[in-house]
Amino acid sequence: MALVTALRRLAHARLREYSWRTPAVTSGAWRTGQRSFSTGTQPLRSDNKVTVHFINRDGEKISVKGSPGDSLLDVVINEDLDFDGFGACEGTLACSTCHLIFDEEVYKKLGPVTDEEMDMLDLAYGLTDTSRLGCQICLSKTLEGMVARVPESVADIRQSKDESA
Amino acid sequence: MAFLNHFRTAYLKSFQGDRLNKQLFFILRALHKSASSEALGISAAGEEAIPQKLITPADVGEKPRVKTLKEMPGPSTLSNFIEFFWRDGFSRIHEIQMEHRKKYGKIFKSRFGPQLVVSIADRDLVAQVLRAECMAPQRANMESWKEYRDMRGRSTGLISAEGEEWLKMRSVLRQLIMRPRDVAVFSDDVNKVVDDLIKRVCILRTQESDGATVLNMNDLFFKYAMEGVAAILYECRLGCLENDIPQETQDYIHALHLMFSSFKTTMYAGAIPKWLRPVIPKPWEEFCLSWDGLFKFSLIHVDKRLAEIKAQLERGEEVKGGLLTHMLITKEMSLEEIYANVTEMLLAGVDTTSFTLSWASYLLARHPHIQQKIFTEVTRTLGPGTVATADDVPRLPLIRGLVKETLRLFPVLPGNGRITQDDLVVGGYFIPKGTQLALCHYSTSLEEESFADALDFRPDRWIRKDSTDRVDNFGSIPFGYGIRSCIGRRIAELEMHLALIRLIQRFHIGVSPLTADVKAKTHGLLCPAAPIHLQFIEREN
Ligand code: FES
Repeated sequence: MALVTALRRLAHARLREYSWRTPAVTSGAWRTGQRSFSTGTQPLRSDNKVTVHFINRDGEKISVKGSPGDSLLDVVINEDLDFDGFGACEGTLACSTCHLIFDEEVYKKLGPVTDEEMDMLDLAYGLTDTSRLGCQICLSKTLEGMVARVPESVADIRQSKDESA
Repeated sequence: MAFLNHFRTAYLKSFQGDRLNKQLFFILRALHKSASSEALGISAAGEEAIPQKLITPADVGEKPRVKTLKEMPGPSTLSNFIEFFWRDGFSRIHEIQMEHRKKYGKIFKSRFGPQLVVSIADRDLVAQVLRAECMAPQRANMESWKEYRDMRGRSTGLISAEGEEWLKMRSVLRQLIMRPRDVAVFSDDVNKVVDDLIKRVCILRTQESDGATVLNMNDLFFKYAMEGVAAILYECRLGCLENDIPQETQDYIHALHLMFSSFKTTMYAGAIPKWLRPVIPKPWEEFCLSWDGLFKFSLIHVDKRLAEIKAQLERGEEVKGGLLTHMLITKEMSLEEIYANVTEMLLAGVDTTSFTLSWASYLLARHPHIQQKIFTEVTRTLGPGTVATADDVPRLPLIRGLVKETLRLFPVLPGNGRITQDDLVVGGYFIPKGTQLALCHYSTSLEEESFADALDFRPDRWIRKDSTDRVDNFGSIPFGYGIRSCIGRRIAELEMHLALIRLIQRFHIGVSPLTADVKAKTHGLLCPAAPIHLQFIEREN
């Protein structure tokens, strides 16, 4: 169990690392297939932050700010929000643990869903008609004040509760 | 002891036999453990009873009692033994999965000597298990792989590493090759390989008297997949689809074939206890030999690229490149880790893709109406002569459906393993930590409950009416789910989509009279039990 805890911490640490690293390394340069490795500076971000209200599994509202262009997963990581198991695959569309539920009006403003996201959404627990994957949603000014609900977590089939850790 | 002797006889008997199974690797590994009188599996002890502390008042009360493994149904040890070791159950493991599902239900246990395997053959239970995964799920015992690496001073890769080591490499690699948009940029590289595939089809069919048949499609797709993966991983071409294949590529293919065709021996390499190696040296030797060959090849290509980069840097030039260049420059993994991972990724990315492409074209040939529908979709969407890229695939839902449906009917990994990292309650049974699970993807893929007319080939069952239309698919998760799912998934999908689109655009694919019904057999992976010969007839464009 200690290992698991350590790993969680490690993964978390790595996630944080990636959240600032990602823009410089992945998105842009890959697009051409050929990429240049001479620079690695982070693009400047505007100061126009967007407010997001998360509702956690206990029904509590947590209001945070994120930068336009950040994904909702980035926001969760940057703000150190503790939603157990959230974003396990670090936004690479291999899980559906970043599942979030929105109000109808917000849902309509979220932009198109890719096939890959739909495939992973099919595997999300507690899926609704207004569900999306948080790692696929990018903040923009039009989403100011949006509410995103973290769904109930899957019924825990794990039996060993580690009190000592 | 009598049993053990008995078992050893069987062991040797099937050792000479043919067709054994990669997935059961872990089982044999565990058998070895007992034979060499190491600790019996944890699971063997765990079957006794639920530890007292876990029985909470709620369990005792109105909730149904959690049952023990002892109460779990399953084939008797003896019948299982006969099934696998005398009746060559290893090659029919997918069928046995179905039989046992019918007989014993959604969850059942089987014993292979002292090793207990709990099979989960139900969509919802598989979902439960995979959703409960922790940060570093473990698939099966990979000790022999690890042993080879230690012996040669090589690193483990994503397949063979566990725990923190695994997570570290996974975190690096998934950031590079798991996001669909990061993989889409490889379209042009893959399309060049598809060009060569098409040329090869044209050459091969002229060699047959009817001018249309290509013999043994899998051989061709094997080369295509290998060339495709290498184009992405090594940033170079290997020449697999040329008339004259370069010697070092031939050597690699040989090592790869050795790895797969002699799985019976290579897997025993891990299963045969070390102290028996002097008596039966061959399996371990072959195991090492094939790994040597695979590693050698990776070293050649990685080192070549590294030398180029160094030269460029010395000349003060800007370094440009793809995946390998990125890994070599950013140094997020050590050079040894890069060697190990490109080796394992190439190993994992060839047969899996080629079997699926073989089945897909076989199914198209057997269902001309469906082929026609897909052809119509492709030509209407793309117009004649267009070379599709990843960006076009979303507009070709039937192509995606074709790959999904092929993998549903012939999941290349008919079952996957997990070693539980916590005590679990699944399907009403208490399953202690450290139990080997087998997730029965083959049987869940063919479940009527999830897929109406499950035996029918219907790519359109995957088509959505709109973006809120759900296609229930936990029954068919050929690439797995979650953080230990297939890292090469998006690359494999790209390779398959682009190859199939082009083949369908250009040819009418027909069944050759030389090929009758082709069944599946398990040989590590689910593969065609006989060669698939198909006709490629030029479409009038
Ligand atoms: S974090 Fe895994 S799919 Fe979003």
